[in-house]
Amino acid sequence: MSVAARALIALMLVAPQAVAQDARLSARLDKPTLVAVNAIVDSARLAKLPTAPLVDKALEGAAKGSDGQNIVVAVRQLSMQMGSAKRVLGTSATPDEIKAAATALAAGVSERDLARLRSASGKRPMTMPLAVLTDLIVRDVPIATATGLVVQLARSGVKDPELALFQRNVRADIDRGADPSVAATTRARGLVLRSSGSGNKPSE
Amino acid sequence: MRDETEQDIERIARELRVPVAVGRALDARVMRAVRRLPRHARFGLWSRLITPRTVTVTPLVWGMLAAAVAMFAVLGAMHAGADLNRAAKPIARAFFPGPKNAASTSQRVQFVLVAPDAKKVAVVGDFNGWDASHAAYQAQHRGGGVWSVTAPVPLGHHRYSFVVDDSLWVADPTAPRVIDYDYGMPNSAIVVQEQK
Repeated sequence: MSVAARALIALMLVAPQAVAQDARLSARLDKPTLVAVNAIVDSARLAKLPTAPLVDKALEGAAKGSDGQNIVVAVRQLSMQMGSAKRVLGTSATPDEIKAAATALAAGVSERDLARLRSASGKRPMTMPLAVLTDLIVRDVPIATATGLVVQLARSGVKDPELALFQRNVRADIDRGADPSVAATTRARGLVLRSSGSGNKPSE
Repeated sequence: MRDETEQDIERIARELRVPVAVGRALDARVMRAVRRLPRHARFGLWSRLITPRTVTVTPLVWGMLAAAVAMFAVLGAMHAGADLNRAAKPIARAFFPGPKNAASTSQRVQFVLVAPDAKKVAVVGDFNGWDASHAAYQAQHRGGGVWSVTAPVPLGHHRYSFVVDDSLWVADPTAPRVIDYDYGMPNSAIVVQEQK
């Protein structure tokens, strides 16, 4: 097959997606912002990073009435965080894991702790542990404590539904007035005991 | 002596001038012999497929090819326009949809917010392009200040928020939060997984 034919087929496969992306963004962003955001998205694509989160970030900014400069800064920041996340998690990381890891980095988790969590999770998906970790930090559990707990839960083989329940229980405890760090530590200890013990399903 | 030689030559020439009688079966015998010969490699089908050849393309054909590409792009843009209110969806998938059983790519999720004073509540997020007017994500008032909507959400990690009365952004109080201070308004996170 000639080079021209291959290029033609590649163009036909790639062009519609690029058009779709431009259409969604161009409907909401002004021209200078659109150009800047598209440049960041193109760079991310070249770096083999997921581009949908970047587009979503820009659309979110537009929906919230943010100015163009703010949107560009937010999209660029997310792109950099996803780049860091991918470096730490490796090429086998899924787009969801990269996105969740970028959010965790934004919350203050260090790349070293991200690598610890990766190691503790083994081959299990990290998306839920990362979402729970970020939530704990947002709810004022100190970063070191939150990271240590989630790493410990991952190492104990706690499954995603149990992690989701753990998050809900900690949130409920904090809403009732518990100290965030104590609530998280206590609930995590109980979960680890249940996981390593009889294997009973957790309950509220 | 010379006369004898000339006579011999004359006799030989006379013999050569006599027409040769060819049998009717000769053609058939020759063709049978030709067919028995091995076929030349260049006439094989595979050879025809892999042998480079020069193709002349007229400007008209190039124009038609370019028009086909342009039409494809325009159709893609039209599809994108129709899908603006939906979650991010590659146009390639719109043209070549996957299996009809969509259960493996999304799950129905119930969003609930207690907002007694609200007149309108919508859910916006990564799954609907952050579009507060998206019809499928408008919450209904169930009474007692409880608003809820059950809508399909693609598998994966998503950020989302409630929009109350088109102006107030409220994170889901029951869901994990994300630090999303870029735009100064809170978001929640949801991880949608395949039901086992």
